[in-house]
Amino acid sequence: MSATDAPVQSSPTRPAKPPVSWKLLAGGALFVLISWWAGSGRFGVGFSAPELLSGFERGQRILEDLLNPRWQAWRGLIGPFIETLRIAVLAALIGCSAAFGMALLTSRVSAPGLRSFLAGKAVLNVVRSIPDLLYAMVFVAVFSIGPLAGIVALILFNIGVVGKLTSETIDGIDTGPLEAAQAAGASHTQVIRTSVVPSVLPNYVAYSLYAFELNLRASLVVGFVGAGGIGQVLFVALNGFRYDVVSLIVICIFVIVFLVESVSIALRRRLV
Amino acid sequence: MIRFDNVTLDYAGGVRALDDVSLDIDAGELVVVVGLSGAGKSSLVRAINGLVRPSAGTIEVDGREVGSASPAELREIRSDIGMIFQGFNLVKRTSVLNNVLMGRLHVVPRWRTLLGMYPAADVEVAMQALERVEIVDKAYVRASNLSGGQQQRVGIARALAQEPKVILADEPVASLDPPTSHVVMRDLQQINRELGITTVVNLHFLDLARAYGDRIIGLRAGRIVFDGPGSEADEQVFEDIYGRSLTADDVLQAKAEL
Repeated sequence: MSATDAPVQSSPTRPAKPPVSWKLLAGGALFVLISWWAGSGRFGVGFSAPELLSGFERGQRILEDLLNPRWQAWRGLIGPFIETLRIAVLAALIGCSAAFGMALLTSRVSAPGLRSFLAGKAVLNVVRSIPDLLYAMVFVAVFSIGPLAGIVALILFNIGVVGKLTSETIDGIDTGPLEAAQAAGASHTQVIRTSVVPSVLPNYVAYSLYAFELNLRASLVVGFVGAGGIGQVLFVALNGFRYDVVSLIVICIFVIVFLVESVSIALRRRLV
Repeated sequence: MIRFDNVTLDYAGGVRALDDVSLDIDAGELVVVVGLSGAGKSSLVRAINGLVRPSAGTIEVDGREVGSASPAELREIRSDIGMIFQGFNLVKRTSVLNNVLMGRLHVVPRWRTLLGMYPAADVEVAMQALERVEIVDKAYVRASNLSGGQQQRVGIARALAQEPKVILADEPVASLDPPTSHVVMRDLQQINRELGITTVVNLHFLDLARAYGDRIIGLRAGRIVFDGPGSEADEQVFEDIYGRSLTADDVLQAKAEL
């Protein structure tokens, strides 16, 4: 029977408008409750208007220093900034390379076997759940103060981030080409090399560039605990109440991060 | 060349795709398998190279049992069977040549695959396959930049590059427009005639089936309901295979005239 001679007279009755879901109401109530709880005086963190104002008065001198950056201090910052860049580049190179292997191991599509899949997944989850700052603190204790600790900390951070993103991209690729390679008598390694890798390579490079951006910013933070780079200089300046130097460093960080991100975003747009 | 002995194929969930199918396909034949969607056409074709495994019965290709083959044996069997897919199944983000070279994987050592350094002799085989389907000028173009018809010809070249004894085509023209469908079917016919490669093609348009099938196998609910030369497959036979009267949707030509 074709569509044209189908009977038209028995169109179904229109459904009644469904009532508002109780889940939505409960969710809304929970949202209000949590907001009130976070700000309330009894359990809260002291987020109140008078305290905000008195804080601003105290900060007036600091604010003045911050508004007058000590421009002549720039020479001393070049070395630490180069160190930060080097930390970010090395960590991205090593971390992202390792991440690709982890991604292949932890995607259902490319994993060679169930055991390595589960083991890889577990390792990746643990690596990702530990914050980079904690890594830095541990590795400063292990390798002593300096950029090595920062590099190792960021390598682990990159494996976590890029490994996870790439693994999920592999999960989502079209499996048709994989089937084609299998039908041609290819081994598992060959299937991965010829079908999976070319399909995800542009995404992977984009994630790696993004990880490099994150490394640049993260290397400032890990510098605070002594893992080298400009972060360490910033930490010293803050402790010495040299807010004019802090100001200059912040401006430089802003410019450098902005430049690197612009280039990286432009590159990524071309890739994917 | 291909032999099914009482093959039954059940999918998880209890769907019976093939029901006690026995058939013999000789070397050099061009067989078209027709039937409604869900009749088991795809399962029949995919069982030949072990992409799906039968629940009962045996399938032999060139004297080798497919259903019980170990992974290594299966790779060996598959290397002699080229396959063409409805959705082309090309790696879109790499070159046409790299896609065709996939057909050479069964002879290329692993380290060469990993480095992407294919031996010159294998590149030559791939190039000749591209020449046969008249698309060699696109060898270094990204596969995603080709039209559907061009992509399917790359798919054919990939199968040819295996230098196979058998070619399977699972609805090779279902994603193509009518003129392009004829180009692709003619390519397959020519390859069958000139190279003597046994070819099994799934189709659901009866005019294409009649035009290109030396032999037509009709499937209905997993059973063979017709097996004979294309010249004998008249409308009555197709109504029997489809279990209903024919409509314009069953004919490619009618679709072209819409």
